[in-house]
Amino acid sequence: MASYSSGRRRAIALLLLTSVLLLTLDLRGNAVFDAARSGFSEVLEPVEAAAEVVTRPVRQAWQGISDYDELEEENRRLQQALDAQRGAEITNLAFISEHQQLLELDNLPSLADIPSVVATVVGASPTNLDQVIEIDRGRRDGIDVGMAVVNEAGLVGKITEVSRDRARVMLVTDEDYTVQVKVLGLAPPATTTTTTPSTTTPGRGSSNAPTTTVPLPPPVIVPGSGPATATTTTTTTTTTTPVTTTTTAPPSSATPGSDGSAQASAPGSTDATTTTTTVPELRERETGELTGRGRANLPQVGLIADDPTVGLVTEGDVVVTAGGDLSLAPPGIPVGEVENVIRRSSSDGPLLEIALGADVARLYFVRVVIYQPNTEVAVPESDESSAAGDG
Amino acid sequence: MIAAFLQGPLFRLIPVGIMLVALQRTLFVDLRPADVVVQVVLALAAAAGAGAGSERGALAGFVLGLLFDLGVGTPLGSSSVTMGLAGFTAGYVRSITIDPQWWLAALFTAIGAGVGELAIPVVRTFIGEIDPFDPRLRTIVPVVAAGAAVLSPAFVPLGRWCMRIKRVEWKAPAE
Repeated sequence: MASYSSGRRRAIALLLLTSVLLLTLDLRGNAVFDAARSGFSEVLEPVEAAAEVVTRPVRQAWQGISDYDELEEENRRLQQALDAQRGAEITNLAFISEHQQLLELDNLPSLADIPSVVATVVGASPTNLDQVIEIDRGRRDGIDVGMAVVNEAGLVGKITEVSRDRARVMLVTDEDYTVQVKVLGLAPPATTTTTTPSTTTPGRGSSNAPTTTVPLPPPVIVPGSGPATATTTTTTTTTTTPVTTTTTAPPSSATPGSDGSAQASAPGSTDATTTTTTVPELRERETGELTGRGRANLPQVGLIADDPTVGLVTEGDVVVTAGGDLSLAPPGIPVGEVENVIRRSSSDGPLLEIALGADVARLYFVRVVIYQPNTEVAVPESDESSAAGDG
Repeated sequence: MIAAFLQGPLFRLIPVGIMLVALQRTLFVDLRPADVVVQVVLALAAAAGAGAGSERGALAGFVLGLLFDLGVGTPLGSSSVTMGLAGFTAGYVRSITIDPQWWLAALFTAIGAGVGELAIPVVRTFIGEIDPFDPRLRTIVPVVAAGAAVLSPAFVPLGRWCMRIKRVEWKAPAE
């Protein structure tokens, strides 16, 4: 084995000490290092772009070999999910629209009002422990550190670093990620029946028109997409069951028969279609703190009290961001659903394992929510000085 | 000073390091055997140690680690420690032989890379990260080590070239 002179030992010790010194300075926050990092990103960008182009055939070949079976399976699964959701979508949109109108009436903030920026994922984590991605939007697009990042399925992460044209996103699964969330429980579904007038067309029997029964997931809105394109995170099994429709001719156009029952309506006349919709009632259970636990483990929610007065937290309960002045994420972003409830002592409260709505291992496009809580919004200097003067 | 820079290892190591960081962030995030990212920069640090000795390996690891931290956004200095350790370890185990065969160099590179990868959660513990020991480390470390071993036939000569070390040439003594 090698024997080292004191000079060599000193050189190695010096390297180690320098590393520790750099680490300490960087962790305390250092503008010089930030500038160096930013400058290095600028230098790296063209090299990376070239590497991206040159290595594309290799990557595509690798993906073709390794991902084919997985993609096929995923396609099948997605097709099933799509079929299941198609039935629920239309009814959901109606409820979302109604929800928006109610919020507007009460002057309450709504997620759909918050502007957002769509970004393409341009880089995945190059390490095995960090859960980060890089997106192709940066400070120029109004993105700032701390902003929440979502996709159509829910919360994805938060911005941790921004340069002019790029930003780095820490994923929900990263061990350093925490966010305040609330757990919404689904109460037993209540059935509502709506009667909609409709016009029968000639040649089509109205008596066989289907009535749709759809258990609805909670109406959750992805920011920026608005009611028309809003999607939902399905947390319950959605089934569309055709049942017999009771179609009756309205009194004005119906011609009573001799036995007093309604007769089949004439072509072109107005009928009424009855739609029965099963809507689960959402109850807010508890708020807590969600923490990422790496790629292999489900994120956990701790610090929650399992209060029987508001109902016990159970598997399948919906988890959304809690918002609030100290939270960087606005309220109401869907996170996922409770997968496991780990019961602990009553003082500790239960620990919840959360199955995320968003598949953070496969992200292609994300949406950055341009939102800052009141506590983070910079006060203009003139206001600050006047406030100081007042103080 | 400029001449010293031009003649020293940094002049070669920095451009090579930048290219490898770019490859790490593009090609190797997609090429994931067993869902593990092969650490190509760490592999070069270990290979430099296996090809040029522990001291130069530590220096190469330090510089490559700094480039990696700057490019990837990890705390500056954290990868310098781990990659420096990888280069040092590979160089240290190399000292059991004078001029290792390619397969021995691959083995030394794998050992260095494995130690470096294993050191990452240790360093993160010291910088205050809670529970950085991912259960997948049992898969990650062998795959990273194997990846480094596979790359070593190319990376050991590259590491030597970066560190301006010429391979020992054995000549028969003149009669």
